[in-house]
Amino acid sequence: MFVWPPGDLNPEQEAAIKEPGSVFLVACPGSGKTRTLTYKVARLLSTLTSEKQWVIAITYTHRAADEIEERVERLGVGTAQLWIGTIHSFCLDWIIRPYAIYHPDLRDGFKVIDSHDAEVLLTELCAPYASQRVTYWDCGYHFTPAGRVLSCETKKRAAVGAILDRYHQRLKANRQLDYELILQCAYDLIVKNPTIGVLLNSLLTAVLVDEYQDTKEIQYAILAEILKAGDRKTAAFVVGDPNQAIYGSLGGYAITAAQFGAIANVNFREMELSQNYRSSKRIVGYFANYNVHATKIEAAAKHKDHVSLISFDTKTSKDELEGELIRLIRHSAETLGIPHHEICIVAPQWVHLAGMTRRLVAAMPDYRFDGPGMVPFARDIDNFWYKLSRIVLTEASPGMYVRRLRWAAEVLTALDDAGANVSDLSRKTLLRECNSVSLVEQDGLTYLRQFFDLLFARIGIDYCKFPALLDHHQAFFESSTARIARLTKEGAAFISDIATFRRVFETRSGITLSTIHGVKGAEFDTVIAYALLEGMVPHFADAAGDISANKLLYVIASRAKKHLHLIAERGRMRGGGRGEYEATRVLAVCGFTYDVVP
Amino acid sequence: MHISKLQLVNYRNFSRADVLFKPGINTIIGENGSGKTNLFRAIRLLLDDNLLRAAYRLDKGDFHRGLGDWRGHWIIISLEFDNVSKDEAIQSLFLHGSGNIKDSDIGRATYNLIFRPKASVRAALAELEEGDEAGLAEVLSTVTIADYETIFTGKSEADFTDPVVYTALVGDFETVRFPEAAYPPEIGGKIPGIMAISKEVCFTFVQALRDVVADFQNNRANPLLTLLKSKSGKIDPADFVPITTMVEKLNTAIEGLPDVTTIRSDIRTTINDAAGETYSPNSLSIKSDLSHEADRLFQSLKLFVGEAEPGYEGAIHELSLGGANLIYLTLKLLEFKYQKAKQSFANFLVVEEPEAHIHTHIQKTLFDKLNYSDTQIIYSTHSTHISEVCNVENINVLGRNAGLCEVFQPSTGLTVEEVGNIQRYLDAVRSNLLFAKSVVLVEGDAEEILVPILIKKVFGVSLDELGVSLINIRSTGFTNVAVLFHDQRIRKRCAIVTDLDDAFIDTSPDPQDGDAEKKAKASAVAAQTSGLQRKATLAAFTKGNNWLSTHFADYTFEVDFLINGANAAKVVSILGEVYKSAATIATAKAELESKDIAVSGTRMLTMAKHMGKGWFAILLGKVVDHHTIVPDYILDAVFMAHGTPSTEVWANILAYRIGLQEKDGVAGPAAVAAARGTLKTYRDGGMDFAAMRNAMLQALPGDELNEVLASF
Repeated sequence: MFVWPPGDLNPEQEAAIKEPGSVFLVACPGSGKTRTLTYKVARLLSTLTSEKQWVIAITYTHRAADEIEERVERLGVGTAQLWIGTIHSFCLDWIIRPYAIYHPDLRDGFKVIDSHDAEVLLTELCAPYASQRVTYWDCGYHFTPAGRVLSCETKKRAAVGAILDRYHQRLKANRQLDYELILQCAYDLIVKNPTIGVLLNSLLTAVLVDEYQDTKEIQYAILAEILKAGDRKTAAFVVGDPNQAIYGSLGGYAITAAQFGAIANVNFREMELSQNYRSSKRIVGYFANYNVHATKIEAAAKHKDHVSLISFDTKTSKDELEGELIRLIRHSAETLGIPHHEICIVAPQWVHLAGMTRRLVAAMPDYRFDGPGMVPFARDIDNFWYKLSRIVLTEASPGMYVRRLRWAAEVLTALDDAGANVSDLSRKTLLRECNSVSLVEQDGLTYLRQFFDLLFARIGIDYCKFPALLDHHQAFFESSTARIARLTKEGAAFISDIATFRRVFETRSGITLSTIHGVKGAEFDTVIAYALLEGMVPHFADAAGDISANKLLYVIASRAKKHLHLIAERGRMRGGGRGEYEATRVLAVCGFTYDVVP
Repeated sequence: MHISKLQLVNYRNFSRADVLFKPGINTIIGENGSGKTNLFRAIRLLLDDNLLRAAYRLDKGDFHRGLGDWRGHWIIISLEFDNVSKDEAIQSLFLHGSGNIKDSDIGRATYNLIFRPKASVRAALAELEEGDEAGLAEVLSTVTIADYETIFTGKSEADFTDPVVYTALVGDFETVRFPEAAYPPEIGGKIPGIMAISKEVCFTFVQALRDVVADFQNNRANPLLTLLKSKSGKIDPADFVPITTMVEKLNTAIEGLPDVTTIRSDIRTTINDAAGETYSPNSLSIKSDLSHEADRLFQSLKLFVGEAEPGYEGAIHELSLGGANLIYLTLKLLEFKYQKAKQSFANFLVVEEPEAHIHTHIQKTLFDKLNYSDTQIIYSTHSTHISEVCNVENINVLGRNAGLCEVFQPSTGLTVEEVGNIQRYLDAVRSNLLFAKSVVLVEGDAEEILVPILIKKVFGVSLDELGVSLINIRSTGFTNVAVLFHDQRIRKRCAIVTDLDDAFIDTSPDPQDGDAEKKAKASAVAAQTSGLQRKATLAAFTKGNNWLSTHFADYTFEVDFLINGANAAKVVSILGEVYKSAATIATAKAELESKDIAVSGTRMLTMAKHMGKGWFAILLGKVVDHHTIVPDYILDAVFMAHGTPSTEVWANILAYRIGLQEKDGVAGPAAVAAARGTLKTYRDGGMDFAAMRNAMLQALPGDELNEVLASF
């Protein structure tokens, strides 16, 4: 059995890992959640008694999956019987693909629609409703076991409902699935065919769920069908932090151990990780103000006594914002000596960030920035060509070998799923073929296009013969072209260069710019947040209002290891002559003695 | 769980075949070349983990030759499993890939290998306009075997051997209609990449006769090493310590032998002398390199078997071939037992022609005893000794018909009682009929002895050469066995030959009759009545069944033989062996030569009864020659079973007859030459049957065969 040296884990972490039954683990920020998951996975894998058993780990992002798998491998535990990925990949790999022939909409084959194509389609279907100002952005929806839930404002519901009806008709006619339909179909399959649950229950020794607080009702329901089926031999290990549930508008919510236990017929042992190894005492003390679930947090970091700066600025105007951000960055980097990649700038929405990134790039030529305005192509992780470009745009090096090998495996699986015959290809031969293509092209998109053609000629597959590949190809290049055109128009001329393309997959080296949602799971010495305004944080359409604001502020503040700068700039005007946006109410009323940044 | 069905489509010599299996022991019976090995190969492609991966990549030669042009067609090998249970965890992975879900349960599982054109070719075919034959030819002309792919699927619902289903999946080459290239749900779901079904089940294949001794000497094929390897990995290191120590001691002892040390120092000195101190290696030793690793040491273990002389055990190569085969089979069975112990939800043992491995007397007992629980055994045989002991319900018969292989299940649709009857009738001799191309059933020894002689003497070809098996039922219970030949069961022709037993004496009562006469008349009447009943029963039984025909002797075999042509003279010629007394011989001769059948027939039967029908037939057999006339009903039966003779068969028969005519001097050299010329033209295809027949009838006017020839 996998054992670890004493001191690797704290008693709370060890207890959670050693607990043989199902665990419901509430983990405060910076408490070593990923570490705990990694060791739990390693321990479960090392105790498997049959080659026919799997450990399933469901993560919120592909990035998190990659990270946990690499860490397990570094612990020296074989991952052949580990399946790790997002809930969508899980549904596809374990329910939809093996049992598609039992679903009327899937039995004749299906494709996963590229998110760009979905956007184009929805935009087209929204056109007749232009007078009601209904756009693609209003069309968010998700399924629950009871039916479809729209996330738009009440007054637009009728229009969006009609648009989505037509959207689903079109997808059905084209045998396409979007992310929500993947969940819906998986749920249908497993509910209508309880046998699937029985089989999966006996194949899966354990199911680990990371970030449960952002999990949707239908996802809980799918997992419950597996957990409660057959001999109920599958153990569950559910980890997350209810304070960080910030995907409510997409249907995510923090279930309680009792609720999940009831639908999954599981008797959970409730446990917690309360030691924060990330932030100073002062930071921990600060974000505790937004703890709405009364979870236990104790500062346990080595630097817990670090003298932190926590500032809250309500004076700076919108026009002075750029200057103030520059001042704060320089203070952190130059006065306090914090490395650039340990600084992060956060804002509620992409719209606030894209322009700011480029202005900062222009104003601070000696700094590097990694932000949304800096990625020349759509990061649609399920697009085949995106998967392949990860290999194309990274260098073959010993440090990247394991990661590229796994990407190669994903590419081969996707090729196989598309119907191409990959029996003559292994991960290694694919990498070798990729490495032997050489091109001098400077334009990033042209480079990729030529690279793909040369590579496919080398491996002897005509991708034009496979509809799924062809659709994705078109989507990838169309969305990337549109994106580059927009960014170039906004002044980022360098964006189309192959060097910019390559930087997307390089390890973070500059200052990060991110949305609040995008910063999930990360940590930085200095966190600078702006646009903390009522109506943005929380979003004006958010019914949960103050609670959501608390959670967003909790997430922002708990990212910081040492310093935190919050800005509620003035002069952003609300529509309809309603005056300027005010600072987020929850933030404004927080009675805290802020520091002044010299 | 067991294999319940194997479907083959376009695979090697099978165009479309359904092979059905039952739990327990199953037998595949067939003549050589009927496809037994190919059938096993198909099963192995799906289940045998020892088959190299490259084997899944099929080739042009794997397509059924009857297809003509294979391009565009699919090969489908489909296995169906029954008695699966979703509630046994050990089967879960298997069922995740292959289980057919129905009404929230899993009753069966399917697992298929499909070799089909890649998507690009299928798309090109689908794009063709209906009826565009030129387009089809163009698409197919570019197709090579490299455009094919092998996929494995499970959960399929399609009945692949149904031509309608095949056309729907693959397309119609006649009308040029091809389905959309998308993934048809009927072929099931792709087996998930995480699993290989062959690793899920325990499967052992024992090949037919090979050079067993060579196998024992080959490290890879040696079944003993396989067994030892599986055990050596499990040895407790502690148990092995004393052996390791001994090996090390042994190595040191060998190295220390005076001769070894002498050689070592001599080498050393010679190098020094030759190369000089500077260029010589600075150290050199001779080391004994006996391995102390378990698996290497185990390789030195060899099997010794005592066979003939007590107290002497020889190596495998000293054994008799039969003995070596028996050991080989035993080790394979043990290998299977070991495998079975590992994972036990599905165990398959496939044995090719076990008779090749073992003596006849062991054959019978072996498969009675080879009955492992939870294990399905499938073996092929052409030994009647084995087929005798196996259950007719668990038999598949492979038949070859003009290059086309067919599979029959001889018990389909039969009642338990009918199956029981068959089982009782099929002894080692009668189970021949399962292997036969066609069958003539007769009721007694006389027919069994005489009919083959008659055919051989008259036609110059044996029944075997005609592909006709003559089976003696030893009663008139024909239906018990003939029930096997049916559209649903064995689709081979079966002719039933029996006596109508029409009375040939006047049976009307006469007040003069003594007791003996009364008795004879009564029994003649009874026989006649039962003959008519039999005819009626058989007529009802064979009605609507084109595989069966009935052929009646008007009276009884011996009598019908007697009254044909000059056959009476033959019977007369053996009188001396039947009777001693000259007076009786004279009386008998007169009676046999009588034109009154009541007289001659009675004498014939008296003689047969006197000698015993079998002995009498043997005596008659000795005098049968080519002048003998074969009763019509026998001829009908033989040719019904054989079918219309081919040109080749006719030519052989006539060549034989011409030779006899020449030898007997009946036909002059000119006539013989003319007849031979005609025959050659006919054989070479320059003349049709009717023309040849007319020419022959003219060329050899006196030949007894002419009557037969004329009737065709």
